[in-house]
Amino acid sequence: MASSKCTRLTEALSRPLLDSVDSVLFDCDGVLWRGDQAIPGASEVINSLKKSGKQVFFVTNNSSKTRQMYADKLGKLGFDASKDEVFGTGYCSAMYLKNVCKLDGKVYLIGSNAMRQELEYVGIQPVGVGPDPISGVQKDWANIPLDNEVRAVLVGFDEHFSYMKLNRALQYLCNPDCQFVGTNMDATLPLEGGKTIPGTGCILRSVETAAQRQAQVVGKPSNFIFECVASQFGLNPERCLMVGDRLDTDIMLGSNCGLKTLLALTGVSTVAEAEANQKSECPQRQKMVPDYYIESVADILPALQA
Amino acid sequence: MADNGGCVTLRGALIRDLLDSKHNVLFDCDGVIWNGETAVTGAPEVVSLLKQRGKRVFFVTNNCTRPRENYVQKFSRLGFTDVAEEEIFSSAYCSAAYLRDVARLEGKVYVIGCGGVMKELRDAGVPVAEEEDAEPGASIYTCPLDPDVKAVLVGYDENFTFMKLAKACCYLRSPECLFLATDPDPWHPLRGGRVTPGSGSLTAALETASSRKATVIGKPSRFMFDCIASQFDVDPARSLMIGDRLETDVLFGSNCGLTTVLTLTGVSTLEEALVYRDSQEPQKKHCAPDYVIESVADFLQALDE
Repeated sequence: MASSKCTRLTEALSRPLLDSVDSVLFDCDGVLWRGDQAIPGASEVINSLKKSGKQVFFVTNNSSKTRQMYADKLGKLGFDASKDEVFGTGYCSAMYLKNVCKLDGKVYLIGSNAMRQELEYVGIQPVGVGPDPISGVQKDWANIPLDNEVRAVLVGFDEHFSYMKLNRALQYLCNPDCQFVGTNMDATLPLEGGKTIPGTGCILRSVETAAQRQAQVVGKPSNFIFECVASQFGLNPERCLMVGDRLDTDIMLGSNCGLKTLLALTGVSTVAEAEANQKSECPQRQKMVPDYYIESVADILPALQA
Repeated sequence: MADNGGCVTLRGALIRDLLDSKHNVLFDCDGVIWNGETAVTGAPEVVSLLKQRGKRVFFVTNNCTRPRENYVQKFSRLGFTDVAEEEIFSSAYCSAAYLRDVARLEGKVYVIGCGGVMKELRDAGVPVAEEEDAEPGASIYTCPLDPDVKAVLVGYDENFTFMKLAKACCYLRSPECLFLATDPDPWHPLRGGRVTPGSGSLTAALETASSRKATVIGKPSRFMFDCIASQFDVDPARSLMIGDRLETDVLFGSNCGLTTVLTLTGVSTLEEALVYRDSQEPQKKHCAPDYVIESVADFLQALDE
């Protein structure tokens, strides 16, 4: 088990690996594309996998697009993808609130319009989206009017994040019965050209610190995002392969859920980091060691075409 | 004298003996000598009597929203006579002092903070990077950076935005750029038991974005005491710290070798103090006060004699 981990996926090893799985789950950023540029050869791999009868899913921590918007982006970049195969954290948070929290009421949302749409789509009404600048003086802020139908606070990526939004979330979260959910903990959001901006993790840590409460996080590496896919499509974890570029989200998710894991080196993590985790004594770090690694997903193509 | 985090209730002769053994008394402000715009009953008299007895009195607050001259006005407004600006040590004042005297900053500081912090920086002669608000084309994806910025300071800021977070993060990519936070308080109490987000919650956002830890100026860090000691002759063994927040005031006192008193007119409770006292972890034990009082007015019984 552990002894055969972190192996370079050669063409010879690709064939048996692919034969041992029915479903392949792909992270998107750093695996299939970088910013708005597809990784060369990636779309051929996806399309070949499907032709050979494998199920393909797109699993991303990004909450700024709806499933349909993701499917559109995938389509533009040459990937054969349908909305039902896309699992972003906007959609998964909505499912979590509905099916796990069994939310009966509104949600105070720090997030995008896309998140608002995903919530409305499952019948949950969000409040708070959009710019929210400060007004009044300090003694007013603790007494801002609260919507008494709000039963949860949901935090995702929000470029309009402000002190006032942080304050509103805090006021709702002072009620211990108010649910607290976050889309993901990623500290940075990747943009094209290798640039990054602060990610949802920063916004979520800010709210957690003010409220002195921990959010229930839906995205990778939390199991929930896999369970979302698995429950809808009847997946057997042992027959699933998770392909990602981040050891702390994609590979950790795979380890947590008992999936086979493949690290693509076109994104964030490196082989050196994976090998360091492998040598470490720490059980948490051991979960961040992939079964296999590959320079790019495009390198799977020869085995598929053979 | 029991100086071991024992949470001993101060009363009677014990108060007098304690005061006799101390020359310097450091007070936190919010929740200790006032709550909002209301003085804690008896607090002005206690401060006045301590000074008459020849004690040195200092006010050590993490609240960075006012410059010192505003604090002097507040003291006066609430009935505290003869409180001099030089006796007031706020995290805003001490952050400016740190940049000027300890870091010896050569360059500008990018500030996420409020008017109080800006004023203290200007008064200390520390150059602040100007915030250009309505810059055409500026977005969270491309914000112009000032090449003279050599430090980032984060504190309570009601005008905090994602843009400021992104900008500060860009500056912090350079390892030579200093990263300071005024104080670690996650929230501040307001009237009626409500709370508002504190500097600590904004610092958490920036630490997560930059994968760097801020140097925190305010309590429980030692720096504010070092700041006092650089201007006045204060012997920790002859100094008393009176506060209402175990994780900031009492831990601060403990870190600086001061005798600590928890007053129950603010944030922390006696129950919380006892939990810290009985903990096995050293860091938690340091949050347990040596003594506990209901209110600073309890000192009047010893001072009135």
